[in-house]
Order: sequence, then structure tokens, then C-alpha cells
Amino acid sequence: MSRSRLRRWTLTCIAGVLASAAGAGHASDAARDLPPPGKIRDLDYGDVLFHFFQDDYFAALVRLEVARDLNRIEHHSAEAELLAGGLYLSLGLHSEAARIFNRLLAGPVPQTVSDRAHFYLARIGYQRGYYAEAWRSLERIRAPLPDALESERRLLASNVLMAQGRFGEAVGALQAAGDDDWAPYARFNLGVAMVRSGAAEEGRRLLESVGTMPARSEEDRSLRDRANLALGFAHLQARAGEPAVAALSRVRLDGPFTNRALLGLGWAETDVQRPERALVPWLELREGRLLDSAVQESFLAVPYAYAQLASNGQAAQQYRLAVQAYAAESARIDASIAAIREGGFLDAILDAAPRDATAGWFWQLQSVPDAPHTRYIYHLLASHEFQEGLKNYRDLRIMQRNLQRSRDSLAAFDDMVEAREQAFVARTPRKTEVLEGTDLQSLALRQDALTQRVAAIEAGRDVAALASDVEQRQWFALMRVDDVIAGLPPGPQRDALAERSRLLRGTQLWHFDAEYKVRLRRVKGALRESQAALDEARGRVGLVEQAGATAPLDTVGFGGRVVDLARRIDEIGPRIDATAAVQQRLLANLAVQELEAQQRRLANYAMQAQFALASLYDGATAGVGQ
Amino acid sequence: MSSSIRRLAARLRWQACAAALVVCGALLLGAPGHAAEPAQDLRTVDQDVQALKKQLVDLNRDLFRLEEELLYPASTQVAVFLSLDVGTFFALDSVTLKVDDKEVANYLYTEREVQALHRGGVQKLYLGNLKAGEHEIVAFFTGKGPHERDYRRGTTLKFEKAIGAKYLELRISDRQAALQPEFVVRQWE
Repeated sequence: MSRSRLRRWTLTCIAGVLASAAGAGHASDAARDLPPPGKIRDLDYGDVLFHFFQDDYFAALVRLEVARDLNRIEHHSAEAELLAGGLYLSLGLHSEAARIFNRLLAGPVPQTVSDRAHFYLARIGYQRGYYAEAWRSLERIRAPLPDALESERRLLASNVLMAQGRFGEAVGALQAAGDDDWAPYARFNLGVAMVRSGAAEEGRRLLESVGTMPARSEEDRSLRDRANLALGFAHLQARAGEPAVAALSRVRLDGPFTNRALLGLGWAETDVQRPERALVPWLELREGRLLDSAVQESFLAVPYAYAQLASNGQAAQQYRLAVQAYAAESARIDASIAAIREGGFLDAILDAAPRDATAGWFWQLQSVPDAPHTRYIYHLLASHEFQEGLKNYRDLRIMQRNLQRSRDSLAAFDDMVEAREQAFVARTPRKTEVLEGTDLQSLALRQDALTQRVAAIEAGRDVAALASDVEQRQWFALMRVDDVIAGLPPGPQRDALAERSRLLRGTQLWHFDAEYKVRLRRVKGALRESQAALDEARGRVGLVEQAGATAPLDTVGFGGRVVDLARRIDEIGPRIDATAAVQQRLLANLAVQELEAQQRRLANYAMQAQFALASLYDGATAGVGQ
Repeated sequence: MSSSIRRLAARLRWQACAAALVVCGALLLGAPGHAAEPAQDLRTVDQDVQALKKQLVDLNRDLFRLEEELLYPASTQVAVFLSLDVGTFFALDSVTLKVDDKEVANYLYTEREVQALHRGGVQKLYLGNLKAGEHEIVAFFTGKGPHERDYRRGTTLKFEKAIGAKYLELRISDRQAALQPEFVVRQWE
């Protein structure tokens, strides 16, 4: 499986988890992995997914951790846990991911979730080379995973079995693989596994099917080339020259496997006694760059073909050419070793690599820059070990940049905390003034008195007490008129005045009584409003007093957190630098070891060429002697 | 041809087969772990890098929390999210958001972001502070409506901000009966 395909696999798995969480089906097709929209029950979880679906895993993980810390995604806790594990895995934190999946499995979770957690654990085990553990995790998956995930599980199972050397069982696992996107890879793997396990004929048939499949993409074409290469060499091992020629001829002339195919093609031609035709691919191959091991071998293969054609003079000439070429190449490797030992080896590789704006943390070197550091270590660069180391180094550089941004943010936060403290100090006198000028107690007493008075009016149905000011003035005027009338001498005039006054008071009382209910309701409503206003004022004063008490503590709390974060940044920074230096040194050592091994191989080739040359001279001398 | 040259050729031929199998083996294994076990010191560095990454995730988490609590305390915090429910009748281009008649966000969407929304992601469009009391939110959506026609619609909501964080969701959904998009603002408790 190619690395880009592997990466997509990881993404599909995570997306699959989300889809399942929301109740959707699974498929390798991204569109079918969608959780049904509208199922988000915590907006913060949706925010995490928004970043996750844009492949911004770091941002998604940070938001997820914050949301979990603040209990903002309680409706999605199980899938959030799975997502967290997947995100940690994507960022290369295998241990943390494994810890999360194991924690998840320790609790009561639905089987669909536990099956996926086991699937992830199997992947982690496989990636870390713990094949027995990976196999145990795979065995714990109780039900078939949905759709494409199931075929991916089978692929993983077969890979784990193959990694353990259990080819027979791997064959069985792969035979169950469905006819999906992964089928060609499964068939390829199955073919190679069968060739290795002795079922060569069936293996070759499968490789043939992959090698002749229609290719829709560059990835398909690359797989087809690999299948033809594997098939060609399988035939070569079986001494079947013609089928080997047919398979190797199908490998593209401008692909990554061209050189190896050309080399094999030459050997296939010699197997069927056509050395003159072997010269065609080998001479073509020899025009390639000598840093490729196939090209290096062609320098020895070409004179062999000439020798087979009994063209010993040309063969000798070609062996001499080979000796010279190997010597020159060895000198160039010396220059490469020196360049690597000068330092800055990984930085040079990363700086020369094309920038991928979307690469983020999930990255790998797609093409190797042509520099003295890298020219002779293509195979090493392509190896998993080196790629992982390089990725670590790149991650460390990103971490250092991230840390710098954190440092800048923290400086701003520190300023804000200070500004907040100053603002609090500035506001304190005004706050004190307002609080001191607010006599809530006397207001409350007045409110109570009013309430009691209205209650008394209601109890005694004192209709006149609710009269308006004008009415009350009129009412009291009538009272005074009565007093005046009482002081008049008795007689018809006084009686007439008293009767008139009685009528007026009756009219007034009738009016008060008619208005009483409305007025009482209005007064009670006003009392309720004033009580509510009083309560709100009490609440606000309480908040101001509380803020006055807690703000300094909050500021101190924020200040303390800023100090703690700054300490952590200061602690992590040098460790990142130190780890990056160690990583650089280790990978440089690996590269130097690789180059030295190449030099030894070239020296060996040169020795073989000289030996063959001597042998040719001996033969020529013997011929002359005879 | 001498026997020594034949032996040399046989060795070269064997090497070619072995090298090709290595190439195929790398594909066969597909995943990383199958190569020879990494050296112990490389594993140690890998573990150190993992530990550092975890510390950095934790650091960013704490920094994120500090930022939110410092800048947007819960008592005044208002967050506005945007989600797409199906969205068959509307292709989102941009959103303008106003709170109390003041423009607070004007967001132009990339294809990648729209895809993320379609897949169930919810965008935190705006995070700000508001006093307790009544407020009004107005959102204008522009994009392509049914039949690829330019489409601009608005939606509004008056809401009460109490003491405590307020979450609002702008939701774009499909009104199947009318074959038209629908834009609503929803309050979350």
C-alpha cells in the first residue's frame, strides 16, 4: 500500500468513527462517511469537527481537549473519546492514543465503539511493530465493521499475519477481501504472499491480474508497475524467461520502477539465450544515474552480455569502464558524507522540499530534493524509519514555531491581566462612592411601610385613602365645611346647607367607592414594581460587591496561570531543541552508514569487475598460448 | 566465457531478484512497522517527541482556555455558530453578522470550509461579549440558490442575554415542501 493511500486510510477510519457516532454508514468514499447533518447535540463538538474535516488535526484536538475539560460535549462523550484517540494517532502520539482506546475499552461502551477501538489498537500495534498485540486486538473485534472499514480490517489482518511470517493464514485473510478500492492492493499482497508461501502459480496469476488491470490514476499505474515487477522477478526465480520478459516489458519506462525492470528484463533475455537482446535494456539502463543500484549493476551486466556473445574485447573494455565509474562514484559519495557531517542535514532536506500548504502535522516527504546530502540515500529516505525520524524532526520545528506563537500570545495576556488590574484599581473609588450613596436599607423600610399601609387600606376598605390629591383636598374641604355648618345658629338656612354638604360627601364617597378596586389594583401593581426594582438593585449591588471581592482574586488567578504557562514554555523550548539535535544526529549517522555501505558495495563491484577483467585476460593469454 | 564470469553473473542475477523482492516487500507490508525494528536510540527520540507533542497539546489547551476566560468571561460571553443541514438548495458563499446593528463578522467561505460544514462540522463564527439584557442578531447569507441563481437572505432574532454564556446557532436547512433553503437562528440553553 502506498503511503498516500495509507494516510487516506487513517483519515477514512477516523471519519468512519464519526459517521458511526452519528449513526451513518461507512465507506472509503469521503462523502459517504458523513455523519447525518443536524445530529450535533453539542455545538462545541461541531466546532471540533469543523476543524477536523478540514484536516486541521492539531486545532481540532486542542478544541476537543478544551471542550472535554469544560464538560461542553457531554452528549458526544464516547465518540469524542474515539476521535481524541484517532487525532492523537494522526499526530504520531501512539502511546497516548493507545491509552485513550484502552481507557475507552475499560468502560461500558457499545460494541460498535469497542470494535473500532480494537481496530485502532491493532493499527497502533502494527505501526509500532507489536504484531502479536495487533493480532490480539484484531481477534477482539466481534462483529464485521461496516462497509469499507471491514475490508480495511481484513487488509490489516493480512498485513499483520504477513509481518509475522504466517503467509498461509495471510492468504486466507486476503481471500476474504471484498472487491473495493483496496482489492488491487489485496490481490497484489495476496499474490506476493502466495509466491512466498510456495503457491507460486496462483500467486503469479493474481499478480498478472493486477499487472494487467486498467489504471485510472497514477497510484493505480504505480501499483500495476510494482505488480509487473514482482511478477517478472517471480518468473525469473522460476527460470521462466519468456513470461518474465512479458511482465517486465509492461513496466512503464518513466516510472519509479523502470530501472529495476530494465535490469530484470536483461536477465530474462539472457535466460532465454538472447544476450544480444539483453544488451538493449542494459545499455539503456547504463545511461541512468550511477547512484541507482540497478544502474550500478548494469555496469557489470553489460560486459557479461558481451562475454556471452563472445565479444571479449568489448567485454574487457566495459569492465574497465565499470571500474572507473565505480571509483568516480565512490569519490562523489565521499563528498556526500562530508556534506552530511557538516551538519544541517535535515534542515537542508526540509528546506529544499516543496512546501505543501495543507500538509500540517500530517506530512511526509513526497519527493527527495537533489542535493549532495540526499543524492545517494534515496532508499534510506524512502524507508519508514527515516521518514518517521524526518517527520519527527519536522514536527519538532513546527512545535518550536507553535511555542513561539504561544510565547507571543502569553505576553499579550500578561499585558491584559495587568491592564485589568489597573482598571480595577482605577474604578475602585467610583465603585465605593456609588455603593456608599446607595441606601438600600431605608428604601426597603419605605417599601415595607407602604406595603403595610396598602394592606390596612384594603382591610378597612378605606376608599378615600386611595383618592387622588385633588379629590382628597376636596374631601377635606367638605369636612371643614361640615365643621363650619355645625357652628352656625340652628334654623332652615343651616339645615339647607347641611343637607347640601351631605349630598356632596355622598357623591364624593360614591365616586371613591366606584374607583376603589381599580385604584387598589394600580397601587398594588406599583408596589410590586417597586419591590422588583428594589430586588434588582439589591442584586446589582451584590454583584458589584462580589466583583469587588473576587476581581482581585481573578486577576491573581489569571496572573498565576500566565506565569505557569510561561514556565512550561520555557521548560519545553530547550527540550525541543535538544531532541531535534539528537534526531538530526541519529539520522545523519544512519545516512552516513548507508553511504558507507554503498561505498563498500561499489568497492565490491569494482573488485568483481577487476576479477572478471583478469579472467578475460587469462582466457585471452591461454588462447594465444594454445 | 570463463566460469568466474558466469559465477559473477549468477550472483548479480540473484542480487537483482533479491533487490526486486525488497521493493515488492515494501509494498507488501504497506505499513510502516514491518521494516526492521528501529534502533533503540531512534525509539527513544520518538518517545521523547511524543511526550513533547503531548505537552504542547496540553499547553495549547490551557492557553486556549486562558484566552477564552480572559477575553470572553462566561458572564458576558456570546457565541454564534453556523451549521448546514443538508443544504441542497443553497451553496453558501458568505455570511455577514450584525449584533445590535453593529457588524461583528463578515466571513467568506472556502470550498474546504463549506465541505466541512456539509460533513457535519459547525463553525464558531463569532465569539464576543454582551451585557445582560435584550439584544438583536441579524445575519445575511449570500450564495447560490435553487437553479444556480444568486441568493441573499437574512434572518433575525431578538434574544435575552442573562448572566451566563449564550450560544446561538445560525442554521441553513432545506425546506423540502417549498424547494427553498431556510435560514433560522436558534437559541441554545
